[in-house]
Parts: sequence; structure tokens; C-alpha cells
Amino acid sequence: MAFEKAFWFIKRGYLLQMSYKFDFFLRMFFMLFNILTYYFIAKMMGDAAAKYLEPYGGDYFSFVLIGMAFSGYLMISLRSFSESVRDEQMMGTMEAMLVTPTNTSSIIALSSLWSFIFASIRVLLYLVIGIFLGVNMTHANVFGALVILILTIICFSSIGILSASFIMVFKRGDPINMLLMSSSELFGGVLFPIEVFPDWLQSISHILPITYAVNGMRHALLQGYTLTSLAPDILTLLLFTIILLPLSLFIFEKSVLKVKAEGGLVQY
Amino acid sequence: MIRNSGQKDVLTTLEGVNLRVKEGEVLGLLGPNGAGKSTLIKILCTLILPTEGKAYVNGYDVVKEGQKTRSSIGFITTDERSFYWRLSGRENLQFFATLHNLSPSQVRSKVEELLDVVHLKNRADEPFLNYSAGMKQRMAIARGLLNDPSVLFMDEPTRSLDPGAAKSLRDFIKEHIVAERGKTVFISTHQLDEAEQLCDTIAILDDGRIKAQGSPDELKSGLEANSTLCDVFSFYTGKSFDEDGVSHVPFAIPRRKKRGYGLGMKRKGY
Repeated sequence: MAFEKAFWFIKRGYLLQMSYKFDFFLRMFFMLFNILTYYFIAKMMGDAAAKYLEPYGGDYFSFVLIGMAFSGYLMISLRSFSESVRDEQMMGTMEAMLVTPTNTSSIIALSSLWSFIFASIRVLLYLVIGIFLGVNMTHANVFGALVILILTIICFSSIGILSASFIMVFKRGDPINMLLMSSSELFGGVLFPIEVFPDWLQSISHILPITYAVNGMRHALLQGYTLTSLAPDILTLLLFTIILLPLSLFIFEKSVLKVKAEGGLVQY
Repeated sequence: MIRNSGQKDVLTTLEGVNLRVKEGEVLGLLGPNGAGKSTLIKILCTLILPTEGKAYVNGYDVVKEGQKTRSSIGFITTDERSFYWRLSGRENLQFFATLHNLSPSQVRSKVEELLDVVHLKNRADEPFLNYSAGMKQRMAIARGLLNDPSVLFMDEPTRSLDPGAAKSLRDFIKEHIVAERGKTVFISTHQLDEAEQLCDTIAILDDGRIKAQGSPDELKSGLEANSTLCDVFSFYTGKSFDEDGVSHVPFAIPRRKKRGYGLGMKRKGY
């Protein structure tokens, strides 16, 4: 039954997305612009940043491509749960779903499925375009990359569930989303290596899950690190997941009970 | 019994609500806007948790056995936004049927059956946004029947319909849902004629309290001959009743005064 539900949520997301075809193709098209921008920045930089990029293979375009592609998962994880709550509230469909035997947590989780699939399509396109533009992934450790990807999605989703809990209770002004998004972009090593920072600023990078996600992904895809070599990143992501997942589910359940008692689950 | 005692920041408070609905009965919850009708229905549908008291639907505790409660009920809302407008009618029903834990083959057969019942089979593949208000409401009824519920909750089902469409919907509820399928129906309304035509029992709800409960004839029995439900409402609440859902303290509307004694009520023996 879970499979059928997942299928219908994905189908619903796909049909709704495809009912706005122009938006879909426009987003895909401008993604190409984004990639090309960094391609030419990398060309201009040449070997100027080689000192900082050496641990990642030495090429800025490959570095930034992986960073941009996989930071998309953070954005989707942080936004999709809270946005699905808000979208269903605004569309007026939340009440009709909540009156079915499917529980609230499943509804919120399944509502986000299409966003993750859409994000994965984007990541795949990033990588394919990157390969065409000269990114070398011939030594990629695909299995290692998949392990990191799964941990990344679960870990980021836990933060997204926390964010959705805030949205349910306070409706607007989610501090988790704002804090994580802006700090991850600056300190997470997405667009430039964290080694650029002075030591005291690097300590901020080390408490952000995205740092380990993009770091591990670069090592797996660009340099073909073995699972043993990837272990520090994998174990840190696992630790984040073990702490954040039960915490976020607990807070989410409490939030659902709170808004149900207040009658605010379907309000926005 | 549901007791939802008052607390700060609660918009609607229900208190001392004590209702028992028999199987196969149509109970009408009659009251003005803000009386607590929707809140009561949402509590019974597990959408809102009561702060105090107990409520059972089909023998299930709505707080402790929410999932079992939801499996046994259908909820028909007037909000036409509660569908995905860019999906077709059929896709909408298939989606919600899956949420009711129906298998793919059950989804197919149930959706086809219900599209037939609500006479929308030939328009089922059109986007929901193309439907008229009456068609949207029939879709809401089809969705409410997807899990073949024993109890159907309807929150002002004819609110957005013109008189013709409203009558046709009332006939449909009476013939297909009550007579043919034998469902127990819990319907909230502020349409007096609707309550009189459809309901075996009427509960008058005002300011979150049940003021009276009985069949339309029982409720009128203590009043003058030819009394209407409007008079019944006035008698039990001390307010006059407009069908736009607004209740008034009757002296504020002089024309209401001539309809009865004192607070706009009629009573045998005066």
C-alpha cells in the first residue's frame, strides 16, 4: 500500500508540474545558464586557486559543479516538507487528505517525494552537462556516492521536518530554514573550499552537515575514494542523522498534536 | 458526548454537547454561522482534538482511535478548493481512494462506480477546474463515499449552490445516500428547509451549546400550529434566524417582532 501511495503522490506531483510546462522547461533552461556561468569563472581562474583546490582534484569547475548539484538537496529538504504543508493548506486539499486513514506524517513525507525526484533529475542533468564540459568522473566510486547521497537526503530531510514543524505551528518565519540556508551557502563549502576561511570560521563549517555531504560527494565522484577513505564524512553524516531524525520526528508529532488541538492544521 | 471547555484564543467553544445518532439516521445540525457546527464536525472527523470530553463515531474514540474512526467515515466539505483543479475528476478520485488504503483494482472499480452514481462518468477526464459548482459538489460526494463509510459528515453541502442545484443535491442525498445505501448522515446546515426535508432528527446548536434535539415534528410540538423551524430556533435560543446564517437578538430587527411573542417566539397557550 505504501508503494501505491508513493506512486500516486509522485504522479500527482508530476501531473501538477507538467500542467505548468513552460515553467518546467524554463527552469531547466536557466539551470544551463548557471552551469555555464561557473564554467567561465573557472576558465578565468585557471590555476590561481590550485592551492585550495588540491584536496578536491584541483579543478574549480568540477568542485563547484558538485557543490551546486548536491546543495540542491539541502534546499529541497529544507523547503519541500514545509512547502508541501503550506501548499496543501493554501490549495485547500489538506483537510481532505487528513480525513483519510493515511496518517499525517506519511502525508507530509509523501507530498515531498516529487520534489526529491525533481531535484534528482536536476542533479543528474548537472552531472551530464558537467561531463560534456570536461568534468572527469571516470574514477567515480558510484556506490560510495550513493551511500553519501542516501545519508545526505535523510539527514537534510530531518532538518526539513523540523522546519515543517515550525511552519505548522507558527505559519511563517521559520528560523531553521533561514539559518541553515544562508549559513550553508556561505560556510558549507558549496562554491569555494572551506580552507579559504581562517581557522576560527572553519569551525562553523564543521558543524554543518552540508560540509560533509559535498566534501564526501566530491571525493567519491571526482577522486574515486574508497569507502574506507570516505568513512570520516560518512560517519559524521550518520551521526547527524542519528541525532536529527528521531528528534525531528518527535517534534513533528508534538507539533501535529498542538495544531490539531488548536484547530490550526488546515489554516495558513 | 463532547465537552470542549472554553480557553483563551479558542474561536469556537463547544460545551455540554451531548448527541447520540442512530444508525441509518440523518441528523441535522442547525445553527447560525459561528455556532460551532463545523468545529463539532471536525472534532468527529478527527481534524480537531477536543480539549475535554469523549466522542465516539461507530464505536471508535475519535481521539484514541483516530485512524479507525477515519476509516469508517466520509467527510463532504463545501470547499471546492479541496480538489486538485489541474487534475481530472477521475485522477482526483483515484488519488484520494489510494489514501483510503484501497488496492489498485479496488481504486479502479470504486472510482468507476462512483462516477456513475454521481453522473460524471462522461466528464471524468476533464480537469476539475472545468466543472460547474454543482458538479464539483457531486465530486465531493463521490469522494466522501470512496471508502464506503457507515457515517457521512456533510458540512453545509449546498452552501455554494443555486436553488436548483441545491434541490437536486438534496434529492440525491435522500434517494441515493440515505434510502438506497442506508448511510448514517450527520449534516450541518443553516438552511431551514434543507433541515426539514432531509433530517430525521435536528439538533439546534447556538453559541456552542445544543439547545434542543428531536424530530422536526417533536421540536414544533410545543409551539403554535403552523410553526416553522425558524420559530423553533427562536423559541430555544431567544434569537431570530436568517437563512444567510446570521442570528440576531430579535429586537434589533423590528419586522421579526410581529412573528411571535417576546423574543420572537410562538408557543401554544399564549
